[in-house]
Amino acid sequence: MSQLLDRLNFLTSLRKGTFADGHGQTTIENREWEDVYRRRWQHDKIVRSTHGVNCTGSCSWKIYVKSGIVTWETQQTDYPRTRPDLPNHEPRGCARGASYSWYLYSANRVKTPLIRARLLRLWREKRKSMDPIEAWTAIQNDPAARASYTRIRGKGGFVRASWDEATEIVAAANVYTTRKYGPDRVFGFSPIPAMSMVSYAAGTRYLSLIGGTCMSFYDWYCDLPPASPQTWGEQTDVPESADWYNAGYLLLWGSNVPQTRTPDAHFYTEARYKGTKSAVICPDYSEAAKFGDIWLNAKQGTDAALGMAFGHVILREFHLDRQVPYFTDYCRKYSDMPMLVRIERQGDRLVPGQQLRASDFVRSLGEKNNPDWKTVGIDEISGKVVVPNGSIGFRWGETGKWNLEEKAANKDIRLKLSLIDKADHDKVAGVDFPYFGGAATNGFAVDDRGGILTRSVPLKKIKLAGGEEVLVATVFDLLCANYSLDRGLGGDHVAKDYDADVPFTPAWAERITGVRRDKIIQVAREFADNAEKTKGRSMVIIGAAMNHWFHMDMNYRAVINMLVMCGCVGQSGGGWAHYVGQEKLRPQTGWTALAFALDWARPPRHMNATSAWYAHTDQWRYETVRSQEILSPTAPAGDWSRLSLIDYNIRAERMGWLPSAPQLKTNPLEIGRAAKAAGVEVKDYVAERLKSGELQMSCEDPDAPENWPRNLFVWRSNLLGSSGKGHEYFLKHLLGTDHGVQGKDLGEEGAVKPVEAVWHERAPEGKLDLLVTIDFRMSTTAVYADIVLPTASWYEKDDMNTSDMHPFIHPLQAAVDPAYESKTDWEIFKAIARKFSEIAPSVLGVESDVVQLPLQHDSPGEIAQGVVRDWKLGECELIPGKTAPAYISIERDYANIYKRFTALGPLMEKIGNGGKGIAWDTKNEVHHLKALNGTVTEEGVTKGMARIDTAIDAAEVVLMLAPETNGEVAVKAWEVLGKATGRDHRHLAEGKEDEKIRFRDIAAQPRKIISSPTWSGIESEEVCYNAGWTNVHELIPWRTVTGRQQLYQDHEWMRAFGEGFVTWRPPVDLKTVGKTATRALAANEPHVVLNFLTPHQKWGIHSTYTDNLLMLTLNRGGPVVWISEVDAKKVGLVDNDWVEVFNINGAITARAVVSQRMKEGSMFMYHAQEKIVNTPGSQLTGKRGGIHNSVTRIVLKPTHMIGGYAQLAYGFNYYGTVGSNRDEFVIVRKLSKVDWLDEPATQITEAAE
Amino acid sequence: MKTFKALSALLSYPSSDLQQAVPAIRAVLGEGLLPQSAVAALEPLLLSLENKDIYDLQERYVLLFDRSRTLSLNLFEHVHGESRDRGGAMVDLLETYRAGGFDLAGTELPDHLPVLLEFLSTRPVAEAREILADAGHILIALAERLARRETAYAAALEALVAFISADPRTEEAQVLLSQPDDNPEDLAALDAVWEEAQVTFGPDPNAGCPVSRDILARMDPQPAPRIQ
Repeated sequence: MSQLLDRLNFLTSLRKGTFADGHGQTTIENREWEDVYRRRWQHDKIVRSTHGVNCTGSCSWKIYVKSGIVTWETQQTDYPRTRPDLPNHEPRGCARGASYSWYLYSANRVKTPLIRARLLRLWREKRKSMDPIEAWTAIQNDPAARASYTRIRGKGGFVRASWDEATEIVAAANVYTTRKYGPDRVFGFSPIPAMSMVSYAAGTRYLSLIGGTCMSFYDWYCDLPPASPQTWGEQTDVPESADWYNAGYLLLWGSNVPQTRTPDAHFYTEARYKGTKSAVICPDYSEAAKFGDIWLNAKQGTDAALGMAFGHVILREFHLDRQVPYFTDYCRKYSDMPMLVRIERQGDRLVPGQQLRASDFVRSLGEKNNPDWKTVGIDEISGKVVVPNGSIGFRWGETGKWNLEEKAANKDIRLKLSLIDKADHDKVAGVDFPYFGGAATNGFAVDDRGGILTRSVPLKKIKLAGGEEVLVATVFDLLCANYSLDRGLGGDHVAKDYDADVPFTPAWAERITGVRRDKIIQVAREFADNAEKTKGRSMVIIGAAMNHWFHMDMNYRAVINMLVMCGCVGQSGGGWAHYVGQEKLRPQTGWTALAFALDWARPPRHMNATSAWYAHTDQWRYETVRSQEILSPTAPAGDWSRLSLIDYNIRAERMGWLPSAPQLKTNPLEIGRAAKAAGVEVKDYVAERLKSGELQMSCEDPDAPENWPRNLFVWRSNLLGSSGKGHEYFLKHLLGTDHGVQGKDLGEEGAVKPVEAVWHERAPEGKLDLLVTIDFRMSTTAVYADIVLPTASWYEKDDMNTSDMHPFIHPLQAAVDPAYESKTDWEIFKAIARKFSEIAPSVLGVESDVVQLPLQHDSPGEIAQGVVRDWKLGECELIPGKTAPAYISIERDYANIYKRFTALGPLMEKIGNGGKGIAWDTKNEVHHLKALNGTVTEEGVTKGMARIDTAIDAAEVVLMLAPETNGEVAVKAWEVLGKATGRDHRHLAEGKEDEKIRFRDIAAQPRKIISSPTWSGIESEEVCYNAGWTNVHELIPWRTVTGRQQLYQDHEWMRAFGEGFVTWRPPVDLKTVGKTATRALAANEPHVVLNFLTPHQKWGIHSTYTDNLLMLTLNRGGPVVWISEVDAKKVGLVDNDWVEVFNINGAITARAVVSQRMKEGSMFMYHAQEKIVNTPGSQLTGKRGGIHNSVTRIVLKPTHMIGGYAQLAYGFNYYGTVGSNRDEFVIVRKLSKVDWLDEPATQITEAAE
Repeated sequence: MKTFKALSALLSYPSSDLQQAVPAIRAVLGEGLLPQSAVAALEPLLLSLENKDIYDLQERYVLLFDRSRTLSLNLFEHVHGESRDRGGAMVDLLETYRAGGFDLAGTELPDHLPVLLEFLSTRPVAEAREILADAGHILIALAERLARRETAYAAALEALVAFISADPRTEEAQVLLSQPDDNPEDLAALDAVWEEAQVTFGPDPNAGCPVSRDILARMDPQPAPRIQ
């Protein structure tokens, strides 16, 4: 390599000629050394791809290939431009992404299918004399044989297998499970489809065709902010990062943009150059904190208290003492503030009840359709109670009035926000609001003033149908009382003075959060002042730090309220920017058809993963939180305290609010057969037997063997290494292997047991028959799998990737063939489908499968239950689809799973396509797809249908069917929506009918999406994408009860749990560091109890996983936790010491990073650090130290289970229980002895890696 | 020379074909390329392949070579790790094969040791020695690491080291071998493993990231399970 001998050092040539005016020269000496540099940049081709990881980057990269080997990559810089006066997107990419490519050739890759040797040996022995299904049956029927491989999960013992053999075992297990227990016992978990949507769709298409269960992820990751559906009826919709540049004031709240949003952070920097002011709120001195003009270091978990104080200031100065016309106008038109709320009597007290409905009045105020779902307000013009357009009752059963025009019964109206004027109210009375400040534990400031604060509210008497006279108030007046604003009405618990010791004043918040009151006042004023001057260009960028708390809804609603008060939502440069795990699958409605096989059967089986894992990993058996601890003292009458958290979930499933998996104790194929034999319609058959008890829902007895999940596919995910909250419970109960659970269950503790869930004295261990992990690297989940299938990585497959951070559709492309024996996810599931079809016919044919469906958001079912009634308690009749889940018969053709997988089924032509409550015809698109992809020529059930053979074919299906990528569909979709709203929205896509984005187009350059009614923002030459834009500017209602931004949640369960209005709720006490946990400490052993926080890291996820050595070496090479200097001193720790972190859920070992950055009392462990990397043993458990989730356990919140109630209705990843994890406390001590546990655990242990 | 082909087979995933081929391998190894002592040292490996249960053999192989990063038979793992130079290095090696009249079949990467050995079996001894010698320090490190695990596979690597008469005293070999066999309960030794290395910038564009390579090397010496 040395050029020393070739290069002249002391001489210069005389025979030197020059050319090009002396710019070039000719020489005679050897110049071979220059080839080193030439070769370095030689390549055969450049391919555009990206990293389909769980990050919102979606960055364009150039992949250089030479001789079929990827040699290097660089950032691509050809994004379509934005528009004048706005910075462009490029270059996008970060160090984490750049280090990714070497996974391609890393020794950590899975090269071939791997199977546990013990399983394979059993299999081959049985297969000598049996067919695949008999063989699997024989293994499962022999408990010793089954245990021989399930008990050693996580302990190595893999051998290689051929694809043929591996897929045969998987297919045999699936067929056996389908036949014996039901297809809904085959589970699949894969997250964030937007990162590689075809790969996701491969697995879910297979599962949906056989009737398997697709598990949700967004809610399970706790990245779903339930406050979003609660307020807007929308999963999550946010501005693209370019819109930060349009903001006048940026509030970064628990979001660390420079660290975790690297490719977008430049917009933040550029906005500041432009003059945008920025405030940063986070407990630690984060990378974002140094960007802030002001930094508020609130104590972790107290954000809602801070938000309440901000709201207090904004209401006082911008709505009461002075009224900003823009704000008032916005709140009247776009929020539920003018709507009337019935004030209910509880004994001699008054509490806010339901929002009044048209049906409460004589002749329903003239409304015939859904009057019980139409809210009312008082019209300033006529002085009468009116039914304004836009509430959810107008959405279903009629057309033309579901809009936000200021109209009622075709007349212009102007709703009254407040009844504060003497002429407008009949009396002023004290109304009760719950207060939870006294319930603080674990070092959070206790502010005990009793559980009820009574505040004066102006009330009006109104006569209802039947002559009943009730007191009513507007939401606005209640909201002001809720925020403790003194409006001169007298009474307690309100303040005029910011220094008053009254909840929600800045002085009060100072005591709770530790932030000085003058800073609180300053930020609130600046935020609102900017919004006033710019008509809503104040933005809050918000993240996991806010959302991962048990009471995340309070944090978020406090923020959302500020934005609504200041008219920021739906305005360019303003609004709510939540960026956590929220990768927008832009061509969503095109993709759902492919992913859930809606072209063949509807509906698919969806499950909310949080509730499922809570039940199936038996975390409910260890529940430490009783419902009365979170119940409101103002709860309506009911048996609230008697129920455990799982009991609430069971009731929710029974009433059709949440889905179930498995669904019924009996195999749904048997039910289908029996119903057919009885000649009874399926729904009636099931209803009758549910009532008689002949059929039981699985949720009522999760530990019964019939109700276990039996097969689990994990792909594109590291469930056990990163997202498995309650990790040790997964190991113990789901997998049945070594675990670190320290606590005892409720039976052993002699604690109160659930009343709805059946209790088994001995909890099952090892529920899964088969765990299949599909990955390209040996992740923690792969280590625990029975079968590991090697998949293609990002430069080895064709796929698509989209993000909420920019509006482009981006491809992944196969720059090279999959390395070793790996295959793409698409090809893997195709292969499994083929095997399934081959072996199924001996036991399965064309079957009638009974699918249970909860009341769906964006369907008429969302207005099924105005009141809470449980059929099992005799409170109502069991009516499937109304008071219970719907039961739908679906035909499965098990011999033709493969054929169905690879062709676009007939329902796209027969029924069409749609999403979010609208549907359109799609015949023309199917016609185009047949021409583009070709048709199936082979004989059989799919002959003549459009072919979906390759991953590119699959991508074309998505692109063709989605309005975002097919202008013709966009125009159609807007037209359909226009029928419901009575307004013409076609102009948003018109002129783009012939714009049809194809896979080859995005391979050439990322393409910008077309505006579509699936989303609430638009793409245009005028504005950046921002959520709520079409609601505000096109007057399309939000999908809530009132059709407006819903600040008051009037559902009975919301009121029962004290969350009708936003308030301050301290973190819950999970009781994990009590006596059971401290037992492990020696007498006088120094230790400290800290709040355990798991933020996103700098040198790992989201762009690479945390076993990348390049990234590890930039940090400390293994697991670390961050601790403050003060806390370190208490334990006698110095930087880089090994520590053990534990509580009753499990233990972690890691090195301590002692830093001034940290706030006393808290600890960081960046999430998804891997167990397979340099983790020594734990003294406590005697096992290899766990992952960050080893010390966590999920706790469900009943308010997240509500269904059948407009915005509070189930949707996949949309509404449902979430896996919060930040209320967790841990004990930290110095690890006195580091043991790498390298002795064999059984015969052969894990490699030392 | 067929000896390389034999070693290539020995270092490949065990199959029943391989088990049956052991006598033939034994015969080829006697052709004289390797010192007598090296051939004798291979006998335990041959015996185990001949006599042991195939599942146990395969499990052992997967654990050692598929799962353990520091024992990877992909040679560039040990010098380039996950650095970008790896791609270029593999291209160069592939070009060498092509210049020799061969292309890759199957699914292994060019830097997989059995692939390289098979190629060398088609080359003159002197050239083979020269090519192998370039990787001498890696072979020494692999041999040593396998020996620490007391696995019979160590003999295969030791045979190659003996063939090239590689000198473990070279600087490169020392880099990979410098770590002491530490005691996992010795905190000071563990700390040494984690200590950050000084970054040096030099003229060699292919040197890679020293910190990454060094930590990789130092991570290795924790005593791992002994596998016979």
